[in-house]
Amino acid sequence: MSFSQQAFGRTGLPRWLIERVWGLEHAFERARASGKAEDDTRLRIFFVLALFTLGFITLAIGATRAALFSDVRSGGSLAALGASRADLVDRNGMLLAADLLHYGLYIDPREIWETEETRRSLLRTLPNLEPERLERALRGNRRIFVLGALTPQERNRVHELGLPGVSFEPEQRRVYPLGTSAAHIVGFSDAGGEGISGAEAAFNDDIRAAARNGAPVPLSIDLRVQGALEDELYKAVAEFTPKGAVGLVTDVHTGEILGMASWPAFDPNKPGKAGVYAQTNRAAATVYEMGSTFKAFTVAIGLDSGVATPESTFDARNPYKLGYRTIHDYHAARKVLTLVEVFQHSSNIGTAKLAESVGPQQMGRYFAGLGLTTPAKVELVESARPLTPKVWNDDAVASTSFGHGINVTPLALARAYGTILNGGKLIPLTIRKLEPGAKVDGPRVMSERTSLQMLSIMRANVSGESGSGRSANMPGLSVGGKTGTGEKYDPAIRGYSRSRQVSSFAAVFPTTGPVDAKRYFVLILLDEPHGTARSAGYSTGGWVAAPAAGRVIERIAPFLGVTRRADVGQAIPVEPPSVEQMGEGQ
Amino acid sequence: MSVFTRRVRGFRLLDLVGVGLLVAVILGVYLAKTMAGRERAEIATIERQIKAEKARIRLLQAEVAHLEQPGRLERLSVTYLKMEPVTAHREATPDQIIDLARAGPPKKAKAVSAVAAMVDGANVIPGVPPPPPPEANPVRVAQAPRPPEVPR
Repeated sequence: MSFSQQAFGRTGLPRWLIERVWGLEHAFERARASGKAEDDTRLRIFFVLALFTLGFITLAIGATRAALFSDVRSGGSLAALGASRADLVDRNGMLLAADLLHYGLYIDPREIWETEETRRSLLRTLPNLEPERLERALRGNRRIFVLGALTPQERNRVHELGLPGVSFEPEQRRVYPLGTSAAHIVGFSDAGGEGISGAEAAFNDDIRAAARNGAPVPLSIDLRVQGALEDELYKAVAEFTPKGAVGLVTDVHTGEILGMASWPAFDPNKPGKAGVYAQTNRAAATVYEMGSTFKAFTVAIGLDSGVATPESTFDARNPYKLGYRTIHDYHAARKVLTLVEVFQHSSNIGTAKLAESVGPQQMGRYFAGLGLTTPAKVELVESARPLTPKVWNDDAVASTSFGHGINVTPLALARAYGTILNGGKLIPLTIRKLEPGAKVDGPRVMSERTSLQMLSIMRANVSGESGSGRSANMPGLSVGGKTGTGEKYDPAIRGYSRSRQVSSFAAVFPTTGPVDAKRYFVLILLDEPHGTARSAGYSTGGWVAAPAAGRVIERIAPFLGVTRRADVGQAIPVEPPSVEQMGEGQ
Repeated sequence: MSVFTRRVRGFRLLDLVGVGLLVAVILGVYLAKTMAGRERAEIATIERQIKAEKARIRLLQAEVAHLEQPGRLERLSVTYLKMEPVTAHREATPDQIIDLARAGPPKKAKAVSAVAAMVDGANVIPGVPPPPPPEANPVRVAQAPRPPEVPR
């Protein structure tokens, strides 16, 4: 065994390093052996000096680098205050939700000189401070959190008191500056920064990711449209005092929700103070038997399947007996009606007969194709599942043809209406802003011709003298629509109540232009409205919802770039019926 | 004489140069740290001011959004300015302004614009509510117990 091996043993050091060290040591020995002792000392001093110099140079480089190039932003109390959630803005960049700097109040009783003075000053300055909580903090023996979400102004007021033992720590807090406006579509998040409802929950991950880039998340709504929608909806609520109400505005070609209002509303800044009833987004989470607004689907299905044409006639002179039930018209025309008249008079008899001609299987397929048997496809987690017939038989078809026996959300209704109005394609609804000019595609459910026919029929229902929706007519905006009044089932009488109704109006504007022309859908729905003297005691869709829808359209048209045009006679496109079709649907 | 053995006042030149270099390096590091520290403190102060200003700007933005709530603006404009949504009777395109000017000021309280004359609602008398619509047709099922197969 060599000496080096004896000295270092089995240290595990690299062999080359051991040899270098011993080589240096041997150099000193060789210098001493050659009689040049001063060389030995000089070499040792030079070696040590070189080591020191190297050390100093390393230190100098490190210190200079640290002094000149270190990240000064890493210091300071505001450094760790990045927002955990990105801003939510409307489609025009208007602020809807933001993380703002707030402060938490802490008390360290060990540093307090005058406990009574501290107690009195804090309670006087901060009315929200709970006395019990403050008392616990003052009697404790360590620094403790007392109150959160202080605004900078509140913090300054407390700071100016100059109380020892009272300190602050910055914290981010989600703020909704619009208060109750657009509350249901924006939603809210909890104190931990997790979205609970609305867009806050739907885009939770995206909002958190966007916060890291400092970019806002734009929603599809237009705050101007939202404001007009809410204003007119709340006016209708004030007049007809329903238990709930919904307003919707969508772009039928892109599926973008431009406005969504649900009444009663709540303040997302204080969600705990509102009950679940107010927090519920009735547009997405509540299902209704819509009533006659479903007749638009039945008529569209009849036209698209070739079972009927606009000129097809239906005998509505007598109540129609189907199975164990007898179907009446609310105000019986007692005559033979064309399909267009069935729509205008909102004839239950005519619609049921049309649906019977279409057949249960085909009706079921079309309803599924229109998205009425599944939750409305939209990002909102609240989107509720519809209640649909278990079996598509004659009875179910007759009921659903005029909107009974099937409960859907207003969003599902809007999506299905969008399909029959946009050229026949089922596209998802969205609360996310799409790029201007974006084309959204979806499975074709109906033909473009059916879509154009439905636009004309809906227009005739508003512009015609006998149309049920004529109170929604707005000059030059070519409004079309369908009223709906669904009586609610009352378990007490085991039947439908005549006094409790869901009254609605489903509108589209403008109805003119080619199939791909700019077009918007508007829905106003009131749950259990009460008739007034102005409505002659009626609480039906034509009286309570249609006027509000018309006013909404008149107000939002300029925001959406829809200009008034002279109304011209709008012919309903008619396809020459075949001999077989002539025989059906009569 | 080698540079390693040359002496100045008894001290090796090499040692003096080494010590001089060492002092220069120490002084350099000290000055760099001192000056950079001052700059650094100033930068940190400015950064804090920027952050505070940004926080203030965000607060103001939120305050603006709060003050510009559509419902609030609506209430204020109606209460204090007596404003209301523009109807068709008060709309005109730029091309029609000349015709309106030639027609002179309206004699009635409400002006009827060229747009209103163009559209189908021009015959509606302002201030007079339109005729009531026929009531819609709610479903009425005679003697109809709840269909058992329809879930609700």
